[in-house]
Amino acid sequence: MASVGTDKTERASSRLPVHNAARAWRFVGRYGTLVVLGIMAVGFSLASPNAFPTMSNFTNVVSQMSLTAIVAGGLTMPLVAGEFDLSIGYMASLSGVLVVGLIDHHVPVAVAFAIVLALGLFVGFINGMIVTKLGVNALIATLGTGTILVGCNYWYAGGIPIALSQSMQGFTELSLGRAILGVPNPIVIMAAVLIALWVLLNQTPLGQHIQAVGANPEAAMLAGVRVDATKTAAFMISGVCAALAGALLASRIGSGQITAGDGYMLDAFAAVFLGSAALRDGVFHIVGTFIGVLTVGLGFNGLAILGVPSAVQFFFRGGLLVVAVALSSAARKFVHR
Amino acid sequence: MIDGVSAIEKGGRSSPPPLLDVQGLCKRFGAINALDDVSLAVQAGEVHGLVGANGAGKSTLVKILAGSVSPDAGDIRIRGIPTRIRNPEDAGRHGLAFIHQELNLVPHFSVLQNMALGMPNRRGLAFVDWPSIRARAQSVARTLDMRFSLDLPIEDLSVAERWLVSIGKSLMFDASTIVMDEPTASLSAEESDRLFGIIGELASTGVAIIYVSHRLTEVARLCDRVSVLKDGRCVADIGRSELSRDTLVRAIVGTAIETVSPPSEHVTRRETALAVADIYRSPRVRGVSFDVRSGEVVGLAGLVGSGRTELLRVLFGADTPDAGSMLLHGRHYAPRNTHEAVHDGVGLVPEERRSEGLILRESIRFNVNLASWERTVRSRWLHLIDQTVASEKASQAIEQLGIVCQSMSDSVGRLSGGNQQKVVMAKWLALRPRVLLLDEPTRGVDVGARSEIYRIIRQLADGGVAVLIVSSEFAELVACDRVLVMREGRIVSHLDSGHISESTILRACYGSLGPGED
Repeated sequence: MASVGTDKTERASSRLPVHNAARAWRFVGRYGTLVVLGIMAVGFSLASPNAFPTMSNFTNVVSQMSLTAIVAGGLTMPLVAGEFDLSIGYMASLSGVLVVGLIDHHVPVAVAFAIVLALGLFVGFINGMIVTKLGVNALIATLGTGTILVGCNYWYAGGIPIALSQSMQGFTELSLGRAILGVPNPIVIMAAVLIALWVLLNQTPLGQHIQAVGANPEAAMLAGVRVDATKTAAFMISGVCAALAGALLASRIGSGQITAGDGYMLDAFAAVFLGSAALRDGVFHIVGTFIGVLTVGLGFNGLAILGVPSAVQFFFRGGLLVVAVALSSAARKFVHR
Repeated sequence: MIDGVSAIEKGGRSSPPPLLDVQGLCKRFGAINALDDVSLAVQAGEVHGLVGANGAGKSTLVKILAGSVSPDAGDIRIRGIPTRIRNPEDAGRHGLAFIHQELNLVPHFSVLQNMALGMPNRRGLAFVDWPSIRARAQSVARTLDMRFSLDLPIEDLSVAERWLVSIGKSLMFDASTIVMDEPTASLSAEESDRLFGIIGELASTGVAIIYVSHRLTEVARLCDRVSVLKDGRCVADIGRSELSRDTLVRAIVGTAIETVSPPSEHVTRRETALAVADIYRSPRVRGVSFDVRSGEVVGLAGLVGSGRTELLRVLFGADTPDAGSMLLHGRHYAPRNTHEAVHDGVGLVPEERRSEGLILRESIRFNVNLASWERTVRSRWLHLIDQTVASEKASQAIEQLGIVCQSMSDSVGRLSGGNQQKVVMAKWLALRPRVLLLDEPTRGVDVGARSEIYRIIRQLADGGVAVLIVSSEFAELVACDRVLVMREGRIVSHLDSGHISESTILRACYGSLGPGED
């Protein structure tokens, strides 16, 4: 009918502004997080010129956030594969309590670490099975397993923090020492983990499969990729990273606190989503995750230096999560136009 | 609502004007003329058949009537009044109802709830008047002879009963024209008979039925008038008196290109690559046996819904068969998933290129290597990707298949259809498969790229690959060494080279070569 002609002209005339909007969104997608990071760095430096922009504070920030970075790096894998993992915070808490308990029972530190890392892999495997074989939505599945982990934690520790009965130099040294070139150990471990994760995601068949499964599970399946196994592997990586971070946290605070690692979950999510709006158009990736962690870490550090009340810190934490996810979906919105 | 009733009364008294009158409808999609000056008139109380091969334009016509596609030119008159159908709500308001093959019913809802969805939308927060809806539904149920409770959930009903509910749903708002798409595809012979009875009764009350089907025997038996579409044009309008299965086949096949393939030069018969025996996969694949030799290009023809895509999925391990066995190069082959199929050297180029064949946001390089990352590692012990090899594969594919792009890191989402299809094929070339299955490889691909794709296919076959091509472009299958024709889940015809032409394939699809009737 006659209307089609007018439709076309309407579309043509509206093309220009759409194109500009797409370009604006694309900028947000590539550089949004970097802009947020820059604004925060400049803002805090102006507000607190003596305490914030110093090398020692920067080292402090990176050291503080190194464990968050390990959790967030692991979390990047299920997110790349198109799934969620809400069990990581509880996994970290349980791992911290368990590693202290084991060491207190004279289990060698290395063995204790091996046991909690194995537990992390196992929990990730269970998460993967529930999501892929039982078809439970990952949000619900990992919320469930996470809560069960809290239960395990109370069961094991009886609800009270576990302290080391004697001082364990070797254990606390892990996170307090500076074994290589005077760099704090957690930073070294974080760097090693992130590099390993980067290699895994970008230089191995598994990493390519994780990316393919996350981008188009049907196409990946029809290319012979084992979609379920790939997703399960991603959950296992996130589980083992959370367990490692929890154990290192226990070593830093010198005891096993029941809820010590719970906070990692929100911070890690905020970091990974912020990271997806850095450089890669809303795609989750390891370098982005590191930038995201840096953003979250600088934010908390700046607020602490300014001495804002706890209420504001929570506003920041919650607000940042929303902003992070909003940036991430904005980044994806215009990619294919 | 009132309109519908008055129309039925008018229809009873005098025939003109037609209930639905379509004149000179045209629609182009890109370079393809989906509809070219199509006209048809449907009277109240008439069962009007709409037939034609794949791609003849039936679904485009139905979509235009349903308001989901807008025509480029042409008029639609309903009871003589020029009407524009802008969207599906418009179609409903004008008394048009549509029953698609995959019935649009909510499985968890009761019969009554589903039928209530057929009522016109009310505004605001008005309460649903269940008593009056129930009363209305009961009277509809009596008309249709629905012998089950209105409170049963849809998921407890048989397919035939669901059809009744769908028809009932359209009667809830006094539809004057009901369009049915392949209504008997999932019905038994007995259930079909019952449906025909109901269609007859509906028609006698003045409702017009547009009956879209490939089953020509049914169409010939049931319809008062049949419009035959071919390549977007209405090539025949056959009235009751001349209607027979044969006239329909003749009209559909028409002056189909009679180019018969030359006898294949590929007489060097090599060993059997894939032998399939008695494969069943409910509901679409019902006992399929055939074999393909290395170096052979076999076409698999059939009408939409004949089970070809479902068969390919079984061969590729994406679905497991209910019964039957397969041999791959003489060895037992029963892939439990696609990974095992790929491992055994079977590749699939799927029907939906963009959603099933490619990862659009990723690069050409990524997609070419998608199926073979595990074979691109430095060593068994160091499971790191050899990036040089991956890049070589991509650049080799770009060169060999003539993929037009700036570089291998272009994202495939921005390539043309033909180039995208070449990337999908390149994915398998990188693996050197023994059997390659292609589902509609030239769909949405321009003419130039089509012949190139067939050139690549032949090149692969010459290299020893056994190729099986599903295509609805029957004229293209002339390039095959052999063509198998599927109908209703079975292979009903084998055409050897020298006997393959568009018209022989079409005839076989409609079963006028085979001994059996449908």
